[in-house]
Amino acid sequence: MSVAALHKVDLKPKDYKSEVSVVWCPGCGYHGILSSIYKSLAELGVDSSNLMAISGIGCSSRTPYFIKSYKMHTLHGRAGPVATGAQLAQPEQAVLVTGGDGDGFSIGGGHMPHMARKNVNLTYILYDNGIYGLTKGQYSPTSRPELKAYTTPYGGPDEPMNPLLYMLTYGATYVAQGFAGKPQLCAELIKGALEHKGFSYVNIFSQCPTFNSIDTVEFYRELVREVPEGHDTSNLGAAMELARRDAEGHAPIGLLYKVNRPTLDERLAAIVTKVGGHKGYDINKIIDLASP
Amino acid sequence: MAKNDLIIRVAGEGGEGVVSTGDFVAAACARAGLEIYTFKTFPAEIKGGYAMYQVRTSPDRIYNQGDTFDVLCAFNGEAYEVNKHLLKPGTAFVYDYPGGDFEPDAIPEGVHAYPIPMSKTAKEMKSYRSKNMVAMGALSVLFNINEVTLKQVLTKKFGKKGEEILNFNLQAFEKGKELAMPLKKTDPWRVADATAPKDVIVISGNDAAGMGALLGGLEFFSAYPITPATEIAKYVATHLPKLGGTLIQAEDEIASIGQVLGASYAGKKSMTATSGPGLALMAEMLGMAFMSETPVMLVDVQRGGPSTGLPTKHEQSDLFLAIHGAHGDAPRIVLSVEDVKDCIDMTVDALNLAEEYQCPVLLLSDGSLAFSTQTVPRPNPADYTIVHRKMWDGEGTYARYKMTEDGISPMVNPGTPGGMHIATGLEHTESGAPSFKAETHEQMQAKRFGKIKPVVNRYKPTEVDGEGEADLGIITWGSTIGVAREAVARLRAEGYKVKGFYPKLMWPMPVEQYEAFAATCKKILVPEVNYQGQLSHFIRAETSIKPIPFTICGGLPFTPIQMMDRVKEII
Repeated sequence: MSVAALHKVDLKPKDYKSEVSVVWCPGCGYHGILSSIYKSLAELGVDSSNLMAISGIGCSSRTPYFIKSYKMHTLHGRAGPVATGAQLAQPEQAVLVTGGDGDGFSIGGGHMPHMARKNVNLTYILYDNGIYGLTKGQYSPTSRPELKAYTTPYGGPDEPMNPLLYMLTYGATYVAQGFAGKPQLCAELIKGALEHKGFSYVNIFSQCPTFNSIDTVEFYRELVREVPEGHDTSNLGAAMELARRDAEGHAPIGLLYKVNRPTLDERLAAIVTKVGGHKGYDINKIIDLASP
Repeated sequence: MAKNDLIIRVAGEGGEGVVSTGDFVAAACARAGLEIYTFKTFPAEIKGGYAMYQVRTSPDRIYNQGDTFDVLCAFNGEAYEVNKHLLKPGTAFVYDYPGGDFEPDAIPEGVHAYPIPMSKTAKEMKSYRSKNMVAMGALSVLFNINEVTLKQVLTKKFGKKGEEILNFNLQAFEKGKELAMPLKKTDPWRVADATAPKDVIVISGNDAAGMGALLGGLEFFSAYPITPATEIAKYVATHLPKLGGTLIQAEDEIASIGQVLGASYAGKKSMTATSGPGLALMAEMLGMAFMSETPVMLVDVQRGGPSTGLPTKHEQSDLFLAIHGAHGDAPRIVLSVEDVKDCIDMTVDALNLAEEYQCPVLLLSDGSLAFSTQTVPRPNPADYTIVHRKMWDGEGTYARYKMTEDGISPMVNPGTPGGMHIATGLEHTESGAPSFKAETHEQMQAKRFGKIKPVVNRYKPTEVDGEGEADLGIITWGSTIGVAREAVARLRAEGYKVKGFYPKLMWPMPVEQYEAFAATCKKILVPEVNYQGQLSHFIRAETSIKPIPFTICGGLPFTPIQMMDRVKEII
């Protein structure tokens, strides 16, 4: 996130709530994630008018409606490119993308590597509930094969993907994982992501009590283990090792990886400076290059 | 046509200097105050394959590539084989002989043959790369290509590479001249003498679209490579940063148009460029731009389709996709260019219209214009008006989709206190809140459709060629207009009563202008380079006119004579 957008106001988490009522089912983990977002924004003193919240389509993609900010509700899978364009157009503003596992890794999967490797300066929070909720319960790229769902009545034929390994492999500069049942941890991770300069990715496990019958709160409580103390967050190999899960299949929660490298907008600004575009250039000189 | 309206075709293996020869000849003519219109075909392969570059030059305005060549310069046997059926009486034939890779059949009666040992001479100079310089020296002597300006062009090109390289090329050029001098000139073809130099640039359609983008105040461009549109991105990538803007290359066309939409929402004048396959991928996002009322501009350089089709060939077959290619009712403003000058001016127009009407604007170009270089009066930046979107004045409560008299709602940039809102693809109320009520959808569709209706009265690039009553009127679009202009002029000179109607605003359709034109013509012929007759289809659907379609789709543009013959058949 742009540093320029931080520490501008002193507000309470509730001040970031919009006038739109939240539409998620009772018991959905997303309520907790949203509270964590409000809390992080308040703690960082983000001025709402300096924030662009952008999403695709899905239950989690409704998030921007509930946040007081500039926002875009775009197409299924396309929040990433739209947010990239918005960020490059206004590098001083903060950009927050929210979306689900289907939106981000199935239909939108082609965009994820490029936001990561280009180090687009924005925060991507992926609400990972292993299911398509808005279309009433189809299995997703993070569903376990045991899940009997709408289009997989006999269980799924696919292995689930590992979002953390994916993001680490493609060069995200901030990679963390949380669980909706641990709102304090989620708020810390989101805050860290928003403060980070570069592409920050937070994967948050969340139960879908309506459609995902096996990834319950209890399941996640048993699944997750906090990142061990002393983990070196600048060590890519160590982060990948954690992301691969331990021998018992536990998934890490906490900050896995954080490094700094130039962001896409910084690199583009450097090109503009290199060719003199920052101090005004006579367009006539460009036109004259076409004289015979 | 006058004999100084001359067409020289250079043909050979890709990579042996065909293109640079054509470029040098064209630039030399332009420097000598003449008009040029070049036409090229490329192999789809990276290296090798048959390449052709044709230069048409005249002291007068040129509208198209012409019927056929007057002079053929064949660098190899393939070039000869491909073109020998066009060696008609009166044409001149310059070819690599002896010492080349072929020996022509008996020269047909009436063809003026000039053998020049190009390869042999280049070999003697120990540089195969000088072959085209030898050819150019010969051409300059045989056809009066201005030697002074040609040498200026060569100096400009090779001077940068050092004196040694320049001198070597000039030596090869002199050798070519020496080889041609003793030959007896028997043909009538000569490039017109130099006139006072004009203040022109020589530029291709794709570069021109890039230049138009700069002149139109472009700030952000997102690109994805695709033939035949990629040169637009190259031009913009090279020059936009000098003006403070940025170009990025996206991971696919969906991302390109998505980035354009996001950057435009955030306040920057934004565009992309693609060809048919890319446009097909962008359809959904164009619907979103229409729904969210976000200005986006897109250039579609059409190529032979469908599917991968004929990537390097000319076709005008994206009209359906451009106008109606999205789900739901989501039209947009669609413009189409006739020539390279339009590629500059109408790119500015398209950017302006997108900002003014807050909707997608598509500019259609095509494969033959993409690479055609033409003389264009040098654009003066001061002559271009840049339109900015209507912005919120900060008064009262902001509503992004506020109902206004003209249907255009003020926008606001992120960062502005009090202007927070959502841009959304869901149907929405004035504030942007989702609403699926019947009256909301009906009112909002009426708003979005209504706001672009006045375009037909405010933007009138359409031209009528001729006055009074006619036995036949030609309606055509895109680069086919240039062919029609010449066909109409020549038919008139032969005594036929014909007129032309050249629409450049394709959608919304200026129906009254079509009807008014058709009322003066007994028959309407609609030539276009696609199989279905796409413009004919829209004319039948939107007007009372009963057009006679005339379609070709062989990967090449119409020729004037082809159009004239058809007119004579049906008039």
